[in-house]
Amino acid sequence: MSLFIRKYKPGVVYNTQILWRLNSTTAETQKQGEEEEEFRVLDILQKKTRIQKKAARRADIQPDRSEKMPTDQNWGNVWPGPRSFHPSSVPLPIRQGYVPKGQAPPGKKANAELMKIPNFLHLTPPVIKTQCEAIKPFCTEWPKLLNSEEAIEKHYPVEVITSDYCHASPTIRNPLARIVTMRVKLSDLKLDSRARDKFLRLVGDKYDEKTDLVTFTADRCPVRKQNLDYVNYLLTACYHESWTVEDWEKEKCLEDMEYYDFDMHPSKKNLVNWFFMSNNKENNLSDDEIKSFDTSSIPNGVEYKNAVSELFNEGENVTTLKNYDTAVRKLLGLPEKKVVD
Amino acid sequence: MLSRNIRFLARRYSQAVTFRTTECSPSQHNENQIGLFYSLNNDLCKQLFAHGGLPKSYMKQTKTFTETTLMVRLPALEIMNCIKATDFDKPAIRYLLYGEIGAGKSLTLAHLLHYAYEDGYLIVHVPWVSEWLRRVPRHKEMSNSQTHEGFVDLPLDAAAWLLHFKMQNQAHLKKGDLKISKEYVWSKREKTPQGAPLAELVEHGITRVKYSCDVVDALVNEIKILSNSKQCKTFVAIDGFNTFLYPLTRLRTPTKKKVAPEEVTLTTSFMELTKNDWVNGVIVLTADQLGVPPEHQESHLPKYLLYKKGFEHIDPFVPVEVGRYSEREFFSCASYYRDRLWLRGPPETEGELKLASACNPYKFMEMCAPL
Repeated sequence: MSLFIRKYKPGVVYNTQILWRLNSTTAETQKQGEEEEEFRVLDILQKKTRIQKKAARRADIQPDRSEKMPTDQNWGNVWPGPRSFHPSSVPLPIRQGYVPKGQAPPGKKANAELMKIPNFLHLTPPVIKTQCEAIKPFCTEWPKLLNSEEAIEKHYPVEVITSDYCHASPTIRNPLARIVTMRVKLSDLKLDSRARDKFLRLVGDKYDEKTDLVTFTADRCPVRKQNLDYVNYLLTACYHESWTVEDWEKEKCLEDMEYYDFDMHPSKKNLVNWFFMSNNKENNLSDDEIKSFDTSSIPNGVEYKNAVSELFNEGENVTTLKNYDTAVRKLLGLPEKKVVD
Repeated sequence: MLSRNIRFLARRYSQAVTFRTTECSPSQHNENQIGLFYSLNNDLCKQLFAHGGLPKSYMKQTKTFTETTLMVRLPALEIMNCIKATDFDKPAIRYLLYGEIGAGKSLTLAHLLHYAYEDGYLIVHVPWVSEWLRRVPRHKEMSNSQTHEGFVDLPLDAAAWLLHFKMQNQAHLKKGDLKISKEYVWSKREKTPQGAPLAELVEHGITRVKYSCDVVDALVNEIKILSNSKQCKTFVAIDGFNTFLYPLTRLRTPTKKKVAPEEVTLTTSFMELTKNDWVNGVIVLTADQLGVPPEHQESHLPKYLLYKKGFEHIDPFVPVEVGRYSEREFFSCASYYRDRLWLRGPPETEGELKLASACNPYKFMEMCAPL
């Protein structure tokens, strides 16, 4: 009985068999039991060993479409419109992305980098060519006399820039199409120096000095036609307004001038006064006489005049100041500046 | 015996070092001494700069080094050269020192003042215009001018300046050959008669502080007349001249009205002096960014600091830039600091300091302080 107690464990199947055997042949089972007995680790948490399931592999994977493409296919049919990158439609060994050390850049499959960037795969030269051919019957011939840029500029001085948008969506309207830009060269407008100054003040930063272009842009009205009318109105109004002379324009004083005229400023008076004093001559010129006094009669006066005008017109910087320095030294008869070693 | 040995050693030392020049007279300085230091006599220093003229931080340094030394630099030499070549029968030529903050404009001016002193000029030196117009202590002495309607007097400042003037021109004033051309009547009982020595006028301004601004005005006129009649030659030095031209001062009248610099009597006097309608004089001005509030310190170039008005006031002037240290000047200065034990450490320090301070003299001095 003691044997039974020792051997018995609940839920163990083979024990019943052993018990049964025990009943029949006691001596034999005793021997067998000693053999099977081994040290078993107490498994408290009863963790089940995880069995790794093998991923079911699909046996019937088709080869990539890009590998099956014929070399003489019509690419325009494969990629007809703008679209983000798709690896199996593009038969090119493209790689893009972060390059780990000693490895090649990531390939095209499952590559977000390639999908992020815009591509122009729909605009290959043959496609463009065919599309142009398709539009050609709807175009008129280019005027023969307008054969150069100069001729175009001469006959069509006003340039109007608009954009058309074409896309597949429920509406064919694009709000950006309403924006109208008009450009005209300032030299093409008939303006005298006063009117030109006024025109420039009216248009402000719409004038670009480098290209001599005045640019009006309108996007305030909902329709292009209205914006175009508005831009035309702006140009017309500015032009005619710059030709009208108001009463208050006579009050324009020296500080309002758009450039520095040496003869009108106190510097000229200083120079002339200095010249008379240094030659011990009596100076009884009136202001107008000083303004019309010829600078070239003063030795080195012209150079000085140019230096001062440059200093004021171009603004103060190292170069203009240096020019002023040399001009003044010449004027005053001082030794030239030494070069630092 | 001991003192002789020390003197001998001192002489040997001064011959051995490469950053000093024994030439103490500025009129003898030439291009070979650029970057070298020369020392000023202590008494002379006290006479010229006791009431300002050297920047405060530099004064502190001279105290630490127990000597006043100035570096011979190109801008000062250039102006001296120009002065030597000047025809003194022609209107006074105006020089304008400009440069970055801490480049050494004031010290160049000090060098030139020393030159003028040696050469026997009558010195009219304004140490720092902002002291009058921009520094407002708790009790700034201000009063409305009695003689000029709508003007403001700074009597204490004017009196202090007269003292400075008296100090710098002791020799000229003691001689007493500078006479006043006309009678000045200050009040019923006080007047300075025609033909009185200039010293009397100055003394009157110092003792009767109430009239000091009018005395300055009179003094400026008298100096012009004296120079025109060739009785003396005059050296005008104004540090921070552009403060006179900044649209506003920080002064307020008792009625809290802001004062423009043109409304201060001292300004009008010195503006009068900086015109070129007199001969036999030299005018050296400096344009300093520190003389104007920080929002108008964008550029150190003269036209920006002087405005158009000021430019036209001193036009035609000779602009002289005081730049940063050149390589030679920098290493000379570094070895001077090493000699004074102001700079220690391995020799590589110089290279680092040169980069860190960008060769700006003031910054270099500041950076060496904790080393």
